[in-house]
Amino acid sequence: MNEELDSQLSAMFDDELAPGECELLARRLSRDEQLKARWGRYAVVGAAIRSERGVRLNAPLAGLVSAVILAEPALAAAHGARRTGVRWWQPVAAAAVAAGVAAVSVLWLRAQAPLAGAPLSAHLTAPTATVPGAAVVPAAAAGAPDSYVVPRAPAARAMAVPSIELANYVVAHSVFSSPVTRRNLLSAFMTGESGTAAEEPRDDAQGNVQ
Amino acid sequence: MLRAMCSSERFVALTLAWAVAGAALAEDTSLGRAPPTQWLERMNQALTTRNYDGTFSHWHGGHVEMLRIIHRVQDGTVSERLASLDGSGREFIRTGASLTCYLPDQRTVLVEQRPPDESLVGFPALNDQTASSYDIREVSRTRLNRRNTHVITVSPKDEYRYGYRLWIDDSTAMPLKTQLCDTRGHVIEQIVFASLTLSAHIPDSAFKPEVSTVGFKWLRNESAPPALAAATQAWNAMRLPPGFRIAARSAQTLPGSTDPVDHLVFTDGLASVSVFVEAQRREQADQPSVPESATVGSSSAFSTVIDGHKITAVGEVPPDTVRFIANQLKAQEPPSVGSRRP
Repeated sequence: MNEELDSQLSAMFDDELAPGECELLARRLSRDEQLKARWGRYAVVGAAIRSERGVRLNAPLAGLVSAVILAEPALAAAHGARRTGVRWWQPVAAAAVAAGVAAVSVLWLRAQAPLAGAPLSAHLTAPTATVPGAAVVPAAAAGAPDSYVVPRAPAARAMAVPSIELANYVVAHSVFSSPVTRRNLLSAFMTGESGTAAEEPRDDAQGNVQ
Repeated sequence: MLRAMCSSERFVALTLAWAVAGAALAEDTSLGRAPPTQWLERMNQALTTRNYDGTFSHWHGGHVEMLRIIHRVQDGTVSERLASLDGSGREFIRTGASLTCYLPDQRTVLVEQRPPDESLVGFPALNDQTASSYDIREVSRTRLNRRNTHVITVSPKDEYRYGYRLWIDDSTAMPLKTQLCDTRGHVIEQIVFASLTLSAHIPDSAFKPEVSTVGFKWLRNESAPPALAAATQAWNAMRLPPGFRIAARSAQTLPGSTDPVDHLVFTDGLASVSVFVEAQRREQADQPSVPESATVGSSSAFSTVIDGHKITAVGEVPPDTVRFIANQLKAQEPPSVGSRRP
């Protein structure tokens, strides 16, 4: 890779490249595997420097990056200062940026293994955890105590919900969704992610309402 | 490069063409100091009333796919096309009251005709109830794709719903980036526009599907929805998660079926859950009923059987929320399922 390209890539990474050049380079990125690989490495190294949570590096690269960081006094100091000044919102922001890293990287580097993003709640339901302070509102009848226990995560199983049937429900439901949630729902359906189905545990099928 | 990276906190979406044309550029920016709820309302307004053509990345579960969305409102008719640019090749096209879903992987086309009097932009409205279920704040203003944005966080107050982080364009109110977060703040789904054009005119040709449907099976709901008054039972949720209320109720048939389905919609003003109630067929009734769940991205579905009826809940909420609502459905007599909107 020549120096000029490398310099352009670096400038684009730092949002310092002119829009026209940016677009040209983006096109080249989409077809140049070597350039894609370099872009991916920049993304991973940048994430490591910022110690973003949720970004999982492969061990050799992570070690190398850490060594570089610690060898640079200014970087190490900044790194330490940042960690001591953790604010309550930083875990959220870190996860958010990590997701951004994954999105941008994979966008251009589809041939490479994606970076690990934030945890997926849909598949990580806490096993039998009580929802703190989550009172259930009586809608038509009362009587039961107002508490709710999150049921166990269903065991993964082969496709159980017919996808056409699910598609019918999704399309019918989309009419009543708010604009943003609707876009999320339909986008996920368009990407063909649907159908992750599971049979509910038989001994826990009554809602766990206490 | 190392130095440059250290100084760079802007990490996302640097590379792609960005075009906002026409009147959008001349938008009044005096709304800069508007409260965050007003930004959400403006965003909803922009998404449903503007003409736009955009390409965006959809991230979920470490998987990224590019999609294109084209939206137009012309003479009061909403047209929309959402297409997967890679992967499944699925397309969703809405023209007025007609919803068509092309599923090349299933070699199937679903066509659902909504009642003409039913507004297709009848999405739930933000209200005080919404504010009691979410903490809505503007946390910062930042630049994204060289556009000024307001970063609005919508944090759920319990585990029955998801949260959002929205980067809303200052001049057009379009959400340039959206993150869906779980109750712990972890990002579970993300949409980022790579290009977006707001046009005064979008031709009809933009709403034609690219997928060839030769040999596809077409499933339609052409039969008229059953008369609600003929129903022998009315279904209601005995209890709901905090903040949720019933927002709509209708009877319909789904594409490919002639069986009537009761459709109930519950919402907290932002998230919504549809519950479909269908009488079990005789052959199904003989089989043991096993509750099933499914996910569509971060959205959830849950199906169970209650009193000889199949109950299916679908919504942009955590799996336990659809499960809870579905299990709360009960049949009541006499029938009261008589109005499309309560």
